[in-house]
Amino acid sequence: MLLRIVIDLLIAVGLIFALAGTKGILKMPDTFCRMQASTCVSTLGVLGVCLGGLLYAIFVMGSASAAVKVALIGALIFFTNPVGSHAIAKGAYQAGIRPEKKMEIDDYGRDFDE
Amino acid sequence: MQKTRLPAVISTFIVCYAFWLLLTWSVQVQELAVGAVVSLAVALFSARFFIHEKAFWLFNPVKLVNALAFWLCIFPVEMVKANLDVAKRCFGGCKNVNPGIVKVPVDLKSDYGQAALANAITLTPGTITMEIAEEEGQTYYYIHWIDVTKPSGQEAGDAIKGRLEKGLRRVWE
Repeated sequence: MLLRIVIDLLIAVGLIFALAGTKGILKMPDTFCRMQASTCVSTLGVLGVCLGGLLYAIFVMGSASAAVKVALIGALIFFTNPVGSHAIAKGAYQAGIRPEKKMEIDDYGRDFDE
Repeated sequence: MQKTRLPAVISTFIVCYAFWLLLTWSVQVQELAVGAVVSLAVALFSARFFIHEKAFWLFNPVKLVNALAFWLCIFPVEMVKANLDVAKRCFGGCKNVNPGIVKVPVDLKSDYGQAALANAITLTPGTITMEIAEEEGQTYYYIHWIDVTKPSGQEAGDAIKGRLEKGLRRVWE
């Protein structure tokens, strides 16, 4: 019983952070801030749901293979997500997308724009 | 492009085969044999991209313990703190942001260390690494930061990645 509560709590926490990230993606003022908010979904959102799923697979289903797969899904998201985020952010900047409100400090633009 | 070396192939093979064992999770002879063949093929093709420096650094126990300590203790704490911060901004109407791109110096020397630090920074909500540049022997990261509180340079670097860098230095240097 206690175990189910812990599992539900973990998944709920993950979903709350996913909700926060989604709200950020819809409401943030510019492209780069939206990307920052999306990181929320893919870190604590995924971590919470994966931990919950991991506990469920180990203690409720009693299946080692399912547990390992859940852990691998989490690990793979953690390894691949930053590479994608970095590439999208850099690509967006180089394609000429700028925030409407001027950024306070923009060293990248200073050093790499002609 | 560097050549394929035997230690690199062996090292890549071990990682691929461990991955295969975890994914299939069975000890039937057929599965094991097919896994070995596939892992060897993948290792032959990808060893030169996967391993650049010492081939067996991953299997050094001290570094392995340090790496585990980083990915299981230091990094999650920083990540949760940053997550709470960004989630608060999101629920607070998304107006409370002050974005900017800062340039911070980084002292890690090895390629792996720099890549791992860049990934750790990107995984922390609120900061995204946009470019790694080298000027006069010193490495600089260009980091998009959602709430710029300090000007570029050492101070901003400490605020963004101080603890992450300390943890990673024990793994790669």
